[in-house]
Amino acid sequence: MSHLLKNKNLKELAKIYDWVSMCTHCGNCKYGYEYGPTANFAAMLCVQGDKFNFDSYRGSRGKVSLARSLLHNRIGWSDKVAHVLFTCTSCGACQQMCETDIKPWILRMFETLRYEAWKQNVAIPENIKAWSSTIGTLYNPYKEPHEKRLDWLPSDVRASLPKKAEYIYFAGCTASYRRKQLARATVSLLQKLKVDFTVVEDEWCCASPLLRTGQYDLAAKFVEHNKALPEKYGASAFITTCSGCYRTLGRDYMMDAPEGYADKYGKMTGVKVLHTTHLLEEMLNKGEIEFTGSFNKKVTYHDPCHLGRHAEVYETPRNVLKAVPGLQLVEMYRNRKFSFCCGAGGGVRGGFADYSLETAGKRVKEAEATGAELVTSACPFCYTNLADAIELNKSPLKMEDIVEIIEPIVRRK
Amino acid sequence: MARGNNEILANLEQIVGPEYVSNEEADLQPYTWDMTWAEPRMPDYVVMPKTVTEIQRVLRLANHRKIPVIPYCNGTNIGGLCVPEEGGIIMDLKKMDRILKIDPETCYAVIEPGVSHAAFSAALKATNPQWKGEEFSKGFEFGWGVHPPSASVLAMAINHGIGHLNGRIGINSQLMSSMEVVLPTGEVAKIGSCAYSDSWHSFLPLPRMDGLFTGWLGTTGIVTKLGVWIFPIRPYRDVLTIAAASAEDITKYMVRWRHYSLCDEVTAVSWWLAQIPIVFPYSPKPADAPEFFSYTVISGWSEEELAYKRKMWKEVVEKERAKGTKLIDFEYPPEAKKGRTELPSRIVGSTKNYSKSCGGGIAWPGTFAPCKSWPILYEKWKEIYIRHGLSPATRFTDYQGAHYGMLRCMTPFNKRDPASVQAARDAMVECVRAGLPEGMLPYKPPVEYQNELNAVADAGYLYLMTKIKDMLDPNNIMNPGKLGIR
Ligand SMILES: Cc1cc2nc3c(=O)[nH]c(=O)nc-3n(C[C@H](O)[C@H](O)[C@H](O)COP(=O)(O)OP(=O)(O)OC[C@H]3O[C@@H](n4cnc5c(N)ncnc54)[C@H](O)[C@@H]3O)c2cc1C
Ligand code: SF4
Ligand code: SF4
Repeated sequence: MSHLLKNKNLKELAKIYDWVSMCTHCGNCKYGYEYGPTANFAAMLCVQGDKFNFDSYRGSRGKVSLARSLLHNRIGWSDKVAHVLFTCTSCGACQQMCETDIKPWILRMFETLRYEAWKQNVAIPENIKAWSSTIGTLYNPYKEPHEKRLDWLPSDVRASLPKKAEYIYFAGCTASYRRKQLARATVSLLQKLKVDFTVVEDEWCCASPLLRTGQYDLAAKFVEHNKALPEKYGASAFITTCSGCYRTLGRDYMMDAPEGYADKYGKMTGVKVLHTTHLLEEMLNKGEIEFTGSFNKKVTYHDPCHLGRHAEVYETPRNVLKAVPGLQLVEMYRNRKFSFCCGAGGGVRGGFADYSLETAGKRVKEAEATGAELVTSACPFCYTNLADAIELNKSPLKMEDIVEIIEPIVRRK
Repeated sequence: MARGNNEILANLEQIVGPEYVSNEEADLQPYTWDMTWAEPRMPDYVVMPKTVTEIQRVLRLANHRKIPVIPYCNGTNIGGLCVPEEGGIIMDLKKMDRILKIDPETCYAVIEPGVSHAAFSAALKATNPQWKGEEFSKGFEFGWGVHPPSASVLAMAINHGIGHLNGRIGINSQLMSSMEVVLPTGEVAKIGSCAYSDSWHSFLPLPRMDGLFTGWLGTTGIVTKLGVWIFPIRPYRDVLTIAAASAEDITKYMVRWRHYSLCDEVTAVSWWLAQIPIVFPYSPKPADAPEFFSYTVISGWSEEELAYKRKMWKEVVEKERAKGTKLIDFEYPPEAKKGRTELPSRIVGSTKNYSKSCGGGIAWPGTFAPCKSWPILYEKWKEIYIRHGLSPATRFTDYQGAHYGMLRCMTPFNKRDPASVQAARDAMVECVRAGLPEGMLPYKPPVEYQNELNAVADAGYLYLMTKIKDMLDPNNIMNPGKLGIR
């Protein structure tokens, strides 16, 4: 019989075979669709399938099938298997479409497959291997020295921050090393809003790149380290402008499988995790924010997958944008749970830069089609990919994060 | 790991471009199986043609080298029909996904094989019925099934697919109006009105050569374009429901109601199919629960038209009750109502209703059967299913006019358990065997059913079928093994 679990060497994957085997091979996950009273939504949502064509790449069906083929010993590991696994951006659109019992396990299964791939002699993308070889000592995937992590923070601001505070602003690696202006804008925003926060010098990578690429063993010490920060700094919450950090701290650290990794690394408890837009929305609702200027532009919002589909935060950033005087918010055809990924996630930006930017280019075209002058998002990683694609494609669009839009025109009431 | 041979791979690469062909096992594996019990079998190559010319060239090569070719869109057919029995080339047609024409005056559309139900329904909803620019109403529809929205409209229609208009207008192969096909030997032919002009509105009054490619499960050629009739969406819609204590009683009601030709669809599902998910493994239904639940969808252009249809429906129910037919009132849950009126539906099509938590397997004895055989066969099937530990999750649906309709038993099973797979397969084959003498015929039949069919078929029918197949496909390259005749 061909559906029996035969390959017991794939221990992590075998552990979730009960869930993997719930896939019916129906193919719902290959295409985005929703019935509507006046118009039906229909669009390709799978970044990977859009580029690489075959069913192996398209939605979760191909990869569930791959997991089963490996567990059934029907096929062996190869470089092609690695390519199928590592070109998925973990955007979660396929998971969104699935309705059977495998649904919550889909992204976990992708990560588990990648975990197993690391143990085989297959072509893991060189660039992923490169950052993985140093992240254990540098604590960031950009191969930058840890000592420079806080270089983005002007020394006078640093000096003015308390040692202990209610919130720890968790900047994340991308804002710390590559999009420093977003970290600075966030700090300035929090100061203007008189939030009791601090920035910590011993912040390490949240482990998102490690978990998303299946590097479970390496991830352990990162989770353990960051989990201890709130107690050390007397904080009760993490606040972050990065959707990747938000997903990892808020779900992977705090929830059991399949949503998170608390089953593996222990649960972070007694700590709240907020995205900056959560705090903004809450303060707006309480009437604690006053706008001192306007933002007279037509803007379209790109849902980061880690904030949107992974954490189901769709309206919060929109509510914040809608509150900005003068800002006209227009939607792309693919939005919210049916959004199209920027192409950077799941290790793809590092592993396959050209394909990643090609995907971002598709998203930029879609943003252009709305007639917006500016595309905004709530994630430094999406920012990076979209901004690079805007430049590469000579798009007339501008890119700004929500915090950059808000920070110059608010004060605490 | 790669399969096939490098020379053929190079030829295929030349034809479709290297990006659109693969012989890597990692790419081939999703094409080895489907949701049924069909044993996984590896193809040797997968190609994704983008044009008719590329298809022609692939078929000529395949003929020359005698390599099987399996047409494939999404592989959701519930019959193992795309599982490559003898290896060969999977021809994945998803890249040919253009809606070539929507004619809102003559009310037809022309589509390629890769057009999904999702894309087609969105495009039709956005097109308004009109005459020379003057719009009559909002949006068109086609016969939407309850399958995954990613499934191909063309593949469904050419294999006698069943949609939500089956009661009013007929099954989807009856809504086809013209086609273009690439023959197994590489020639291209147009069939129907499109053979004479660019109007794809009808097969009639020409000889019905479309029959050479309809219901043949991809064994006689590749249909590359299909004209289909489309219908203005009626703005008023309702779902009326009634239950019955027996298959006999629900059939009496359905047949009488169908004689009036007033509904889009009338369907009945057994208690086991009404459960979400289907009870697996079998357990008895509560003694006081009805055996069958039926819904009928009515539609119209005004509230008055709907009111008239409701009135007529009530009369049918009353007349049947007066005769002693035991009909039981029941309310349809809102979610179920949505599933019947908002089609195609990713919720219904996701298979969650059928196979939640059971281990991935789904198959059915899906058949067309004369309505009068429904209750007889239901009792036989029920006995067979319960004997095999399976729930008799049965559906009756009438097709346009009470001549015949769907009789099918949706069957979840646990693919990880060989005994469960065996039980499901044995039960279903036994059901088919039991049904054939009663006029029942399986649709989109897996090989096992095809063998049952062939065993009792008229000899002349099989002779003619074989002759046609040999004439069109002299090297038997098209989806070999599926018809059980070669
Ligand atoms: C949950 C569920 C519910 C379903 N409900 C329905 C329903 O209500 N009504 C219904 O009709 N079906 C139903 N189906 C069956 C199936 O989804 C449909 O028939 C569907 O349209 C098939 O499309 P596909 O793209 O998956 O075709 P495939 O499975 O890829 O192909 C089907 C057959 O057509 C052949 N073929 C494909 N393309 C061509 C071509 N261009 N030329 C020649 N041959 C070709 C293939 O070789 C194969 O034999 C259901 C399936 C599921 C899983
Ligand atoms: S996570 Fe996104 S890119 Fe990956 S298979 Fe699913 S839809 Fe495709
Ligand atoms: S992952 Fe879900 S949607 Fe995709 S084929 Fe499997 S059951 Fe269907």
